[in-house]
Amino acid sequence: MKQWMCVQCGYLYDQAVGDPMGDVPPGTAWEDIPDDWKCPDCGAAKAEFEMVEI
Amino acid sequence: MTVMPKLADLLDQSFDPFEIEKLSTGDADDPYPRIHELREKGTVLKGSYRTEFTDVPDVQVGHLEQYMVLGYDTILKVLTNPEVFGNRGAFQHTLGKSFGRTVTVMDAPEHTRYRKIFQKAFLPNTVAKWGETFVDPVVNRLMGAFIDRGEADLVEEFTHHYPFQVIYSQLQIGQEQTKVFHKLAIAQLLSAIGAPQGPEATEKLGDFFRELLAQRRADPGDDLISHLATVEADGERLPDEVLISFLRQLMNAGGDTTFRGTSVLFTGLLTHPEQWEAVAADRSLIPQAIEEALRWEGPVSNTMRYVNEDTELDGVFLPEGTILNMVLGSANRDPGKYPNPDKFDIFRERKVRNLAFANGPHVCIGQHLARLEMTRALHAILDHTRNMRLDPDKPAPDIRGHLLRVPDHIYVKFDKA
Repeated sequence: MKQWMCVQCGYLYDQAVGDPMGDVPPGTAWEDIPDDWKCPDCGAAKAEFEMVEI
Repeated sequence: MTVMPKLADLLDQSFDPFEIEKLSTGDADDPYPRIHELREKGTVLKGSYRTEFTDVPDVQVGHLEQYMVLGYDTILKVLTNPEVFGNRGAFQHTLGKSFGRTVTVMDAPEHTRYRKIFQKAFLPNTVAKWGETFVDPVVNRLMGAFIDRGEADLVEEFTHHYPFQVIYSQLQIGQEQTKVFHKLAIAQLLSAIGAPQGPEATEKLGDFFRELLAQRRADPGDDLISHLATVEADGERLPDEVLISFLRQLMNAGGDTTFRGTSVLFTGLLTHPEQWEAVAADRSLIPQAIEEALRWEGPVSNTMRYVNEDTELDGVFLPEGTILNMVLGSANRDPGKYPNPDKFDIFRERKVRNLAFANGPHVCIGQHLARLEMTRALHAILDHTRNMRLDPDKPAPDIRGHLLRVPDHIYVKFDKA
């Protein structure tokens, strides 16, 4: 399974869960998350995420 | 064949750091009634968390001006604002003395640079591979010693050992040295209460890792030290001093916390048998059981931050140089975020992330490994036993401490699967 992962802390973005605390509702595709969104675990920028095989 | 360096024991070999440790981590039976009282007075209060629960002085930062931060939102605000609320000032006289130049003691930009290199070795896609290679063999070996007996003390025979043994396996440290290794890892933290064994342990672990690092650099294997000695991020490798400091911290950050987290997970489930049964019947509930255990009794109840410049927090003026006590145990039981917060309930609605591993740039590097280890430990127990329950003839598990909470024993009975 491939997922977007924060390389600063390892947080995995789960589209089904989204990030409600960061105003990203469940079901939001990665491409639709605003560029100024930050990792909910460590605060890294969206650009710090990479697609990885889990 | 390369000979493993010898780790020197403490000069006073009768010194028992495990007993003395309680002076540092506390022996409070239940700090939460007091935590709730404090939070009701305000989200930012003058005073230190430690002095609420123990008279044993903190010789390192006890003399400095301190405030407690108690509300979930306020704690999150501080943890995610590292420019104003730093780590270096808070930890250079505490963990910095015990471990050395670790990422915990650094602020950006130094922290950002080294954190990325260490995190690379502990990302979820990396640690996922360690489940079978490192964790399962340790778990199965420990369980093998008690599985035929139908009863056990899960702390003394299982949880107190397995995360440390996983680390020994990862570092490829021979069994003959593990006892001294564990002792020194605990002793190095006792600098906080002025015990001379603290700096002695720090120095001896440093000498050992320096020699081991040189060996592994010259002849790399597939162990964690060889990996960290050669891993790069943005073309940069880790300096020896930073790597040795990290290895000193590994036993405490990776072993002590997982030992406590797993013990609390078993305690929460076994003291709520209907929840144990639910998890046994449906293993897909394990992740939410782990998150609830981490919220209910997180492995570390309090961490520190340093006020880098005069500022205000929830209407309270904080002068530069103030030490902030970030009471994570309070955030995770904030009734504004978790209704009926003292209740262990794996089915509770989770609208916010628990702060057991903190948040922000210093969020726990090893959190993915900790969750993996807790998952494997619970699976193994469920795979090999049936009808596990607390032993009615022995004391129930009693979670104690104000800083690092854990029960000393979890006496259970079970049938072999």
